[in-house]
Amino acid sequence: MKIKAVFLTRFFFISMCLILIMNICVVYGSVDINLWDTGRIVFGAITGKFPSDIPERFIPIVLGVRLPRVLMSGLVGASLSISGAAMQGLLKNPLADGTTIGVSSGASLGAVIAIAFSAKSTLVSGLGTFLMSILFSFASICLILFLAKIIDFTLSTNTVILIGVIYSMFASSITSLITTLADKEIKNIVFWSMGSIAGSTYEEVVLMTVILIICSFVLMRNGVELNAFAIGEENAMHVGVDVRRVKLRIMALVSILIGVSVSISGTIGFVGLVIPHITRIFTGPNHKKLLPISMAIGAGFLMLADMFCRTMFSPIELPIGIITSFIGSILFVFIMIRKNSNKFRG
Amino acid sequence: MKKLRIIAIIFLLSIWSMAGCSNKENVSDNIQTQEQESNKITDMAGNEINLKKTPEKMVVLLPSDVEILYELGADKSIIGVGEYCNYPKEALNKKIIATGDDLNVEQIISLNPDVVVIGEMAQSTDQMKQLKDAGILVAVTNSQNIADTYKAIKLLGQISGKEKEADDLIANMKDSFQELEKKSKGNFEKTIYFEVSPLEFGLWTAGKDTFMQELADMLKVKNIFEDLPGWAEISEEQVLERNPDFIVTTTMSNKDSSPVDEILARNNWENIEAISKKQVFKGDSDMMTRPGPRLVDAAKELYKFIYGE
Repeated sequence: MKIKAVFLTRFFFISMCLILIMNICVVYGSVDINLWDTGRIVFGAITGKFPSDIPERFIPIVLGVRLPRVLMSGLVGASLSISGAAMQGLLKNPLADGTTIGVSSGASLGAVIAIAFSAKSTLVSGLGTFLMSILFSFASICLILFLAKIIDFTLSTNTVILIGVIYSMFASSITSLITTLADKEIKNIVFWSMGSIAGSTYEEVVLMTVILIICSFVLMRNGVELNAFAIGEENAMHVGVDVRRVKLRIMALVSILIGVSVSISGTIGFVGLVIPHITRIFTGPNHKKLLPISMAIGAGFLMLADMFCRTMFSPIELPIGIITSFIGSILFVFIMIRKNSNKFRG
Repeated sequence: MKKLRIIAIIFLLSIWSMAGCSNKENVSDNIQTQEQESNKITDMAGNEINLKKTPEKMVVLLPSDVEILYELGADKSIIGVGEYCNYPKEALNKKIIATGDDLNVEQIISLNPDVVVIGEMAQSTDQMKQLKDAGILVAVTNSQNIADTYKAIKLLGQISGKEKEADDLIANMKDSFQELEKKSKGNFEKTIYFEVSPLEFGLWTAGKDTFMQELADMLKVKNIFEDLPGWAEISEEQVLERNPDFIVTTTMSNKDSSPVDEILARNNWENIEAISKKQVFKGDSDMMTRPGPRLVDAAKELYKFIYGE
């Protein structure tokens, strides 16, 4: 009973924090709309009646542009973080992440191929980009792990990362090739690949929410198995995990999450790598806690990062990858130094 | 013994290099004497071009310069054009030179032109040197605004021996612009928004120091992003906030939908003045961004769109 109470208060606390961050991100934007007006607009959306003293143009800005975008950045942040955490556990590899393993580049390639063959990049009107991203990210994971296995049966950290980086370059080179040979219209890919959550719609948000809920639910159900994997694949086998099946399942879920995120927002680096590491400081390595808390922290982080993109040089927007990579790499170095100094002390 | 040999070699080498130096001096003397005979032209990077005669073979890399030379009637001497030169259509029949990310210097040299006309941005100093070393004259154009465009036309007229045509063209353009400016009855009350990249890839617009800004000024409408330098990615909410009266998109048409329809159908944009009045126009990106004679056409189209005549 007591454990349940602790869990509930934690859950409550974390949701409160996320809601607070969300509110901040909705209030701060490129256009100045004060807290009071923003609150009344959101409240008006619920009741269906807007106060008449609020300029009419503010309503679509808050409800149509800002809110879905904030929600979307939270969802993408959560997806990237939970897939990073799951992959780090599965591969027993602290450096694993969509970008380092090369899955994101694979997903990008899929999306670019889909755009180049004139599937539209908006999610709802055409699922082309979307499906191609998922397909390519899954194929990429399989290929990378297959190659890694041929080279080094133990799947050591370095081999996987090395192959991931090489695969990443390979996929990017094909992406660049397609972009170079493509028509003028497709040169837009360049803008897209810089990463942006702009132009999110509620349809996309709903779709993404459903996918995230399903995938994260199944991933969390596999928390115990991930714990076993984190000690070693052999260990997992010994304690009775159906290694092949669980592995395939987790890989599939991760590639769906990364594929969808990439198709919506381009490649956003460092989130899936850094957030799980930060989370471990609070939760320790148990995946039962690590996965959900990573999700929450990732969501908060990306919402804030996107807010900085929107507001820092307003009215100019920055590509979100700039902020995440900048903060992420600094945090990562900090975590590594901290870890190493612990090692020497202990 | 060995030492002696090495000294001998060094000695020989130094003599050679000295001979090399004096040779070079001779060469530059030659050039200087030739210079006095040829007519001097200064290009837009401030370099002097020693043109001895009207060039028979020219390679032109910038689309705008190709358009200018065609307009001047100097197209016969063009033997090669850059990758993006798609106007007039006949230009596509010329030899196309890779200019994309990397200028193909070898290809230019193999065509053995008398003059290469090149954009300021397109070349590195190394590549310039390679061309000059191959005995090819290099003329640089660099137009950031309409006034520069006149200079480019003048320069290209001088090079191709069509100076009179160039003066006529410049006078014509000036007249057309002046006429449009006089006809434009606005007083910067109406606003305009130029969209370069569509929402799904992140909105990009043209700020000040662009031709689009100059066209807006000429037609007396206010560019809503004139506070930004050059090209910039901007927030969607800023477009809603600044509420433009006119929207001009230069995005390419998609196979299944036109960019105008896409903008008119955008969620949350319904209340923008330009959307509710259906004042969205598909502008020709090439026409509006290339510093050439077609800027007049772009201005005329824009005038028609804004004032509906």
